[in-house]
Amino acid sequence: MPPRRAQDHNYMAVDSDSDDSFIVEDGDGDFGADRTRGAKSKGKGKAVQKGKDKGKGKGKEQPYSWEASYTRSWDAVQEDEGGSLQTAVEDLLARGRRRRLLGPSTAIRRTIIRHLILILDLSASMLDKDMRPSRFDLTLEYARAFITEWFDQNPLGQIGIVGMRAGLGERVCDMSGNPQDVLKHISDRVKLEPNGEPSLQNAIEMARGSMSHLPSHSSREVLVIFGSLTSCDPGNIHDTLDACVKDRIRVSFVSLAAEMKICRDFCVKTGGTFGVALNEGHFKDLLFEGIPPPVQTGAAATAKTGPGNPAADLMQMGFPTRLPDTAPPALCVCHSELKTEGFLCPRCGAKLCDVPTDCDICGLMIVSSSHLARSYHHLFPVKPYEVFMDKSSLTITSPSVCHACALPFRESQQSKTPATAPAEGLSPLGRYRCPDCGNDFCADCDVFVHEVMHVCPSCHDPKPIPQPS
Amino acid sequence: MKFNIDDLPVVFPYDRIYPEQWEYMCDLKRTLDASGHCVLEMPSGTGKTVSLLSLIVSYQQFYPTKRKLIYCSRTVPEIEKALAELKRLMAYRIEHAETEEEKENERNFTGLGLTSRKNLCLHPEVSKEKKGRVVDARCRDLTSAAACEKGRANPGSVPLCDWHEGLNELEPGTQLGRGIWTLSDVEQHGREKGLCPYFAIRRMMPFVNVVIYSFHYLLDPKVAEQVSKELSKDSIVVFDEAHNIDNVCIESLSIDLTRPMLDSAARSVSRLGEKIEEIKVTDASKLQDEYAKLVEGLQEADAARDEDAFMSNPVLPDDLLKEAIPGNIRKAEHFVAFLKRFVEYLKTRMRVLHVVAETPLSFLQHLKDITFIERRPLKFCAERLQSLVRTLSLTQLDEYYALQKVASFATLVATYEKVGFLLILEPFETESSTVPNPIFHFTCLDPSLAIKPVFERFSSVVITSGTISPLDMYPKMLQFTPVVQETYAMTLSRNSFLPLIITRGSDQVAISSRFEVRNDPAVVRNFGSILIEYSKIVPDGIVAFFPSYLYMESIVAAWNDMGILNEVWKHKLIFVETPDANETSIALENYRRACDNGRGAILLSVARGKVSEGIDFDHNYGRAVIMFGVPYQYTESRILKARLEYLRDAYRIRESEFLGFDAMRNAAQCVGRVLRGKTDWGLMVFADKRFARSDKRAKLPRWINQYITDTAANLSTDMALVLSKLFMRTISQSSTENQTGISLWTLEDVLKAQEKRKASEIDMGMQAERDEEMDEDEYGDGGLPDEILAEMEVDP
Repeated sequence: MPPRRAQDHNYMAVDSDSDDSFIVEDGDGDFGADRTRGAKSKGKGKAVQKGKDKGKGKGKEQPYSWEASYTRSWDAVQEDEGGSLQTAVEDLLARGRRRRLLGPSTAIRRTIIRHLILILDLSASMLDKDMRPSRFDLTLEYARAFITEWFDQNPLGQIGIVGMRAGLGERVCDMSGNPQDVLKHISDRVKLEPNGEPSLQNAIEMARGSMSHLPSHSSREVLVIFGSLTSCDPGNIHDTLDACVKDRIRVSFVSLAAEMKICRDFCVKTGGTFGVALNEGHFKDLLFEGIPPPVQTGAAATAKTGPGNPAADLMQMGFPTRLPDTAPPALCVCHSELKTEGFLCPRCGAKLCDVPTDCDICGLMIVSSSHLARSYHHLFPVKPYEVFMDKSSLTITSPSVCHACALPFRESQQSKTPATAPAEGLSPLGRYRCPDCGNDFCADCDVFVHEVMHVCPSCHDPKPIPQPS
Repeated sequence: MKFNIDDLPVVFPYDRIYPEQWEYMCDLKRTLDASGHCVLEMPSGTGKTVSLLSLIVSYQQFYPTKRKLIYCSRTVPEIEKALAELKRLMAYRIEHAETEEEKENERNFTGLGLTSRKNLCLHPEVSKEKKGRVVDARCRDLTSAAACEKGRANPGSVPLCDWHEGLNELEPGTQLGRGIWTLSDVEQHGREKGLCPYFAIRRMMPFVNVVIYSFHYLLDPKVAEQVSKELSKDSIVVFDEAHNIDNVCIESLSIDLTRPMLDSAARSVSRLGEKIEEIKVTDASKLQDEYAKLVEGLQEADAARDEDAFMSNPVLPDDLLKEAIPGNIRKAEHFVAFLKRFVEYLKTRMRVLHVVAETPLSFLQHLKDITFIERRPLKFCAERLQSLVRTLSLTQLDEYYALQKVASFATLVATYEKVGFLLILEPFETESSTVPNPIFHFTCLDPSLAIKPVFERFSSVVITSGTISPLDMYPKMLQFTPVVQETYAMTLSRNSFLPLIITRGSDQVAISSRFEVRNDPAVVRNFGSILIEYSKIVPDGIVAFFPSYLYMESIVAAWNDMGILNEVWKHKLIFVETPDANETSIALENYRRACDNGRGAILLSVARGKVSEGIDFDHNYGRAVIMFGVPYQYTESRILKARLEYLRDAYRIRESEFLGFDAMRNAAQCVGRVLRGKTDWGLMVFADKRFARSDKRAKLPRWINQYITDTAANLSTDMALVLSKLFMRTISQSSTENQTGISLWTLEDVLKAQEKRKASEIDMGMQAERDEEMDEDEYGDGGLPDEILAEMEVDP
């Protein structure tokens, strides 16, 4: 749900900026930064920080923030005549809605069993402070948020992490389907302290190696967060590129500095996306663009299903038996630890700590039904609600409260003053109508349904909304 | 797409057109209509070649006069590129011609490129030679008229070139078919049919509509005589990439002699003497024939000169050409003795250990005093030598190379005795060296001398380049009056390049490559820190230019001591251009590889070097160009000093003006390397405080200058970095916005622009009429008729 996130971030930043600046100064005890803090008043500091968040954080290894060019962040927010920020807020909402409308509404074949290797740049260039507090800290922070969100949206997926440091590819975290496991590995920033030069080839080769065993129905993705502008490789990186194309590994890049030819080549040839972050908010947007599952291309889909074998479209999954807390303790097959709770593989009866996973004994994919259900919304997205524009078509019988939250609709100020036309994609009446069931929802519920619930509550009205088991 | 410019239907081989291309074509059309010359500046990478070709071909095909197009470019790859573009254009024209007749007409259109024998030769042994001169000489041995005659009469006696022989069976004009032939096409054709590509092209020359070749074929009198004499007067001549045309002109009329060359010339003379003795015994009649011919006059004798001319005289005034060779060198023995004396004289002159600068006139006077050699025979030296060589049917002419030089030297000195030339003898290579290594420069000071015949002979000459500012300099230097003189801005939907002028380092010390401060550690360090910082923030390739090799060496050595290079190595590999072409090409290859695989690289090179002139750094091969210092010429050079003096006296161009112009055109040429198209992007960093001065900036081409904002014109290193980083990030966003309509026009846009222009013209016309009317009104009412006025004045 990228748009929403971005907004949150922008609004949060105002409150949290003073904390941020503390992190900078405590984090690395930079002499210059200390002096900066000594020299400036609190109010100024805030303004500068806000400017950074709006996006032109440019000071590079500059101890003094006034050496950076001015950013007039206050100009970005326009007040209306009444001095209210309502218009600006609505504008942001409208932008989010418009972006959602761009998405395809028809069913598209997507991979829901995903495997992703996140490659983090841990080279010296990540210490650069052109993004606050530093590229490295920001990357870790966003990587954590990304992983949480990613697992939330792709419960059947697995993530592994590889770092690029001192010319080597380091395995930070093995492929795992458990968000806690993955997050644990990048929680300690000291262990990941950047140094040396990056090697794209080593890191991508390592990612490729750890995905080579995967079955054909799962997607293989690599997402690189790349801060440097160089890559010290032992061999010819174009060979690696060819190998990735052959293995159908999709490589995407989020660059923090500028466009490099080889990165662009990787993305173009393997079908990934390439983006250069303009500022902190944009960085997050780019990163979170990788969360919805990729569309399966026709060529890849046909290549996967063997000719004349329609069964190849089907795959085996097992729904495990959950052991209660009171079960007798037994060794799990994944960690060899004595545990009471866990799941039993339906095929071989091995005890596993967590689902979803592949059974270590028989290789069966173990999922719970709720995971499958959650993965569904990518395939059948909720249709975008129609903007209700016409006041005259309202009848007496039409409800005056939102179908979901039962609060009365708020008519925006603008509808009373017709001089200012409402932003495109925004209803002056605050009503948004589901095209299927014809019920009206308020703006907040609209966002909630599309970005969190992924199911229209009223379309399922007669029946209760399916609860995860 | 097809559209009309005035009444001329133009076929443009793409669906879209840049606005500046359209304007360019309009101006070109005006020039051709007026049968005049023009100077046009259009940014590199905006499709100059295709606009030129498409307009001129349309012009040729539409009007019945069928003016021939002579298109001169600088390097062989550029010639090949232009030919490929022409081929594409013609394919498009044939496809889109309406009637069968028109199609046939288009198919008959023929275009060719010409390059040296070395690039085209198919002979298994000759083509292996590395030096162009040797290839030429060996080729002549196999193909000269004398050799052919002998070989055909008595097969096997003389080795002949099979490929050349293959040509003889074909009718003139049918050596190659109709249509457009790129150089590689001709070579392929030659290989299949067993024909010599070089001579096939040469023999086809009179029959084609378009000829594409190098500047020298038109400007160098020695070559022009052979290749370009058959071109008709109403041809359209185009000099592309012509920003250095004055230097090419000067080079083509200048000769340098060294002592080894004179020694070799002396040896050749004595060998000639021996040969004459020999031939006197075996075949005395031959020499007698030659003598007889010379008496009759040289002009009738040169029927066979077309192919085996070993060299010919520079463009001489016509009356001189009609004169016969003077009596005292008509006899072969006499001529050899004459040459011997001349070479010896030059050798004695070289023994002098101080610098001598003199005019040709005083040189001739001195020569006459010492050796009794007069001007007239000297003038015919080259011609006479050529005739002698033909008579003796000498082979392996490359060994006579030095003697040829001496002979052309003699001819040039005697021909251009008056103004615009200077003889300079420099006994030492550098100021500090003690071992004499004398060089005798015969240098041309006036570029208009070499190009004058071109302007006189051809009615339309187009001079165009990406960087040819300031425009009024070229007409002044080359002595012609242009009909149109125009520079075009670049329309871009996003700012795809960012010029920055850095005047001081982060420590606020002014940086400059001025001679007094260039080795100041603070300046060197600040230059170094620019390199380090840019190596950190620029992806892939960076090209850095220095004013001279000498300065580059000293500054790189200093950087090494300061540890700056080690710092740069962390981010990018470093490659260096050297005067050696092979080394440089290896460095370039590796530089490209490093840019491709993401390691990133910096190429340190020299303005005016090979890299700055002919090599494109498009896309990832050049994301930034850094100019360290203003690339002034070495002002202590005597030749330059003489030239400056001449320019001041003859054309009233001040020294500083010329030097500044020359420096800025080189700087523009260097930074222009980075931007080779509208999808390309890059940084242009000018690191010298002198670039910020308005007189320097005004000399940059308009398309660069319009993007230098006031904030970007006077920056310190750190401020420049902030701007650069922002630029890098913004430009890296994938551009989704549509260029169409702004910087890319469809047919409708063109029509709209034409209407607009027409409307504005009509407006202007009406305005003018109205003004006139008003004028008339004013004077009509209030003024008195002239007659009355006259009377009134007379009366009192």
